[in-house]
Amino acid sequence: MDMKKIGLFAAGVLFGTAGLKVLTSKDAKKAYAQTTAAALRAKDSVMTTVTAVREGADDIYAEAQAINDRRTQAEAEAVVEDTSEETEESQAE
Amino acid sequence: MKCTIQHDLPGRLRVHLCCGRMTLSQADVLEYYLLSVEGVKSVKVYDRTRDAVVVYDGARAGVVRALAAFSFAKAEKLELVPEHTSRALNREFEDKLAVTVMRRCVSRLFLPVPITSALAVLRSVKYIREGLLALWHRKLSVAVLDGTAVAVSILRGDYNTAGSVMFMLRLGEILEEWTHKKSVADLASAMSLKVDKVWLQTEGTEVLTDVRSIRPGDRIVIRTGGMIPLDGSVVEGEAMVNQSSLTGESMPVAKRPGSPVYAGTVAEEGECVISVEKVSGSGRYDRVVQMIEESEKLKSTAEDKAARMADNLVPYTLGGTALTYLVTRNVTKMLAVLMVDFSCALKLAIPIAVLSAMRESAGYHISVKGGRFLEAVAKADTIVFDKTGTLTYATPTVAAIVPFGGQQEAEMLRLAACLEEHYPHSMANAVVEEAKRRGLSHEEYHSQVQYVVAHGISSMVEEKKVIIGSAHFVFEDEGCRVPAGEQEKFDAIPAAYSHLYLCIDGVLAAVLCIHDPLRREAREAVKALHDSGFSNVVMMTGDNRRTAESVAREVGVDAVYAEVLPEDKAAFIRAEKAKGHTVIMVGDGVNDSPALSEADAGIAISTGAAIAREIADITVASENLFELVILRKLSQALMGRIHGSYRFIVGFNLSLIALGVAGILPPTTSALLHNGSTLGISLKNMTDLLDEENPSQT
Repeated sequence: MDMKKIGLFAAGVLFGTAGLKVLTSKDAKKAYAQTTAAALRAKDSVMTTVTAVREGADDIYAEAQAINDRRTQAEAEAVVEDTSEETEESQAE
Repeated sequence: MKCTIQHDLPGRLRVHLCCGRMTLSQADVLEYYLLSVEGVKSVKVYDRTRDAVVVYDGARAGVVRALAAFSFAKAEKLELVPEHTSRALNREFEDKLAVTVMRRCVSRLFLPVPITSALAVLRSVKYIREGLLALWHRKLSVAVLDGTAVAVSILRGDYNTAGSVMFMLRLGEILEEWTHKKSVADLASAMSLKVDKVWLQTEGTEVLTDVRSIRPGDRIVIRTGGMIPLDGSVVEGEAMVNQSSLTGESMPVAKRPGSPVYAGTVAEEGECVISVEKVSGSGRYDRVVQMIEESEKLKSTAEDKAARMADNLVPYTLGGTALTYLVTRNVTKMLAVLMVDFSCALKLAIPIAVLSAMRESAGYHISVKGGRFLEAVAKADTIVFDKTGTLTYATPTVAAIVPFGGQQEAEMLRLAACLEEHYPHSMANAVVEEAKRRGLSHEEYHSQVQYVVAHGISSMVEEKKVIIGSAHFVFEDEGCRVPAGEQEKFDAIPAAYSHLYLCIDGVLAAVLCIHDPLRREAREAVKALHDSGFSNVVMMTGDNRRTAESVAREVGVDAVYAEVLPEDKAAFIRAEKAKGHTVIMVGDGVNDSPALSEADAGIAISTGAAIAREIADITVASENLFELVILRKLSQALMGRIHGSYRFIVGFNLSLIALGVAGILPPTTSALLHNGSTLGISLKNMTDLLDEENPSQT
């Protein structure tokens, strides 16, 4: 038996009794709850950011569509309609 | 409520509500409140950011005023929100997805390798166990393949690959569950439509009563074609009840005194009095959900084929893996084959395509009870229309009343209305409306209503037998005759109208001419249906031949069958099916129900009778016949997408395997490409099939 093995054994006994006590103690549980709460908050803030980004993207998309609508409208207005036949008719009257 | 405008475009507004936290139900309240504002086309409320996007085509000032006047407490009292919304469900799955992705990112970025490896081993237990379970049940399913892939990676110490495989599998699981639950919920809320009025029996008379004021113990009367709105038991009479909305069983069940009846089922034939046991809102929605989940309706055959194929491919993949190892003696190459199990891609991508098509159709006010029916619509070459209420407007009017035998016109209308009041058909409604319009009150003075579905009604009024119905029913079945000397008058009745014949004690008393105008778009819609590949558009009607033929010519159908009985409609559909055609039936009334259930896909126009809606596989809530064209295009696009996905998945993954075996791609890369392509095609299959602006033109 060398000292290292005895030391390991002692550490094991110590962990199995005191260590577990510490890990399952009230204070430790409080710490776990705090950590979990922080993680949940982080998740929520990530999701909020994602939503905000999505809204922004939707705004940009809607605006882009509006721009294109205006363009097609302007293009349509820039065309002079062929009314040769109608004018001829009106002249003939 | 105080709000700030964040983004302002003509026809679109994004506002931020200055309130504290917004709960999910508050978001729903706001969404449905804004939707009820005039001119608002669509609303999206984001509860996390407390923002709302309003798309409108009315005046901007109206929307702003509505926003300013809004308060949660006030809007909640308006009860605009339906019983079930999918917001909570979406939130749940969005969160699940987000957590999965975030966990993956965090563990890859921050956690040291030993810990991630330990976590991978822990999580792999589930997949390995499922694989072993499948083997234990002697099934070579996809679970075996997943389990093997995970186990081999872990055993080789390649925790990274194992981790990404499990991550992809998890994402797939969540997406599949989400789409499935969402579409079930959407369907159920579409199907749990309520009847608002019921006939309450009080001391010998019947009163039309709001269903919400019914209390347990009340007796309500249910007649042919009526939906049973509440749970209870039969106390009088006998009826054949169709319970397919609960059990999926299409044969009606006989209900006698003492038998229990369930909310949401429909009386196909007969009449009974029910003693109510449970009042409104007692779990109908949940039952519908359960029914949909239990019935195989959700699965289309293409979906089934994908699932079967996926499982069938497993032995080949395993065999290929073994063979590769035997030939090359190279574990890396062997893994390349194993990592590419295209079965899971098939299992994921194709159901998603089907569910997303069902969701899209709901956007066009079409509710589809199962993917199978979309497939039938895509494949169909014959479409059968019942004329009244489908090709014509659902609201016919009485154009003229021709009395016979010296009867009074008003008196005859009163009598006719009194009988027709109980019959759920648009022609009957016309008579009742006309009586109402002329201010004729028709107290319930007949004692016994007997039903003869589709032909007409017979009843006893003041000891005399009164019948009303079609020529066939009145003259042939019941042997009524035209009063002597009035044959000429009878022949001169205009043929352009549909006719209802009223007889008292076997003698014709009046003919009611019903004007049933064609829908404005009927001709165009029939043409569009022809263009979309229907070779045979058929019109069927109980009307007389002359009227039917003039309508048929006007609409441009290929064939017309006049003076038909409900059985004839069903028989015709059966005959067409026997000839190898796929047949769609479009109808709206009680008399269409046999035909609707006979057809490959029965489509109900939802203004019609409850039974038509219950039996139909697809319900169109809109008044526009072009919805049918949209439905057709949608189904065809869906089938195209399914076949496309199929070819892509098999082709792409086969080449991955080939490249893997050839040693060009390492297993991790092929796994990444495989999973990436699976996710990609699933995401693509979630997108809309039709062009939003111009759905019938794609």
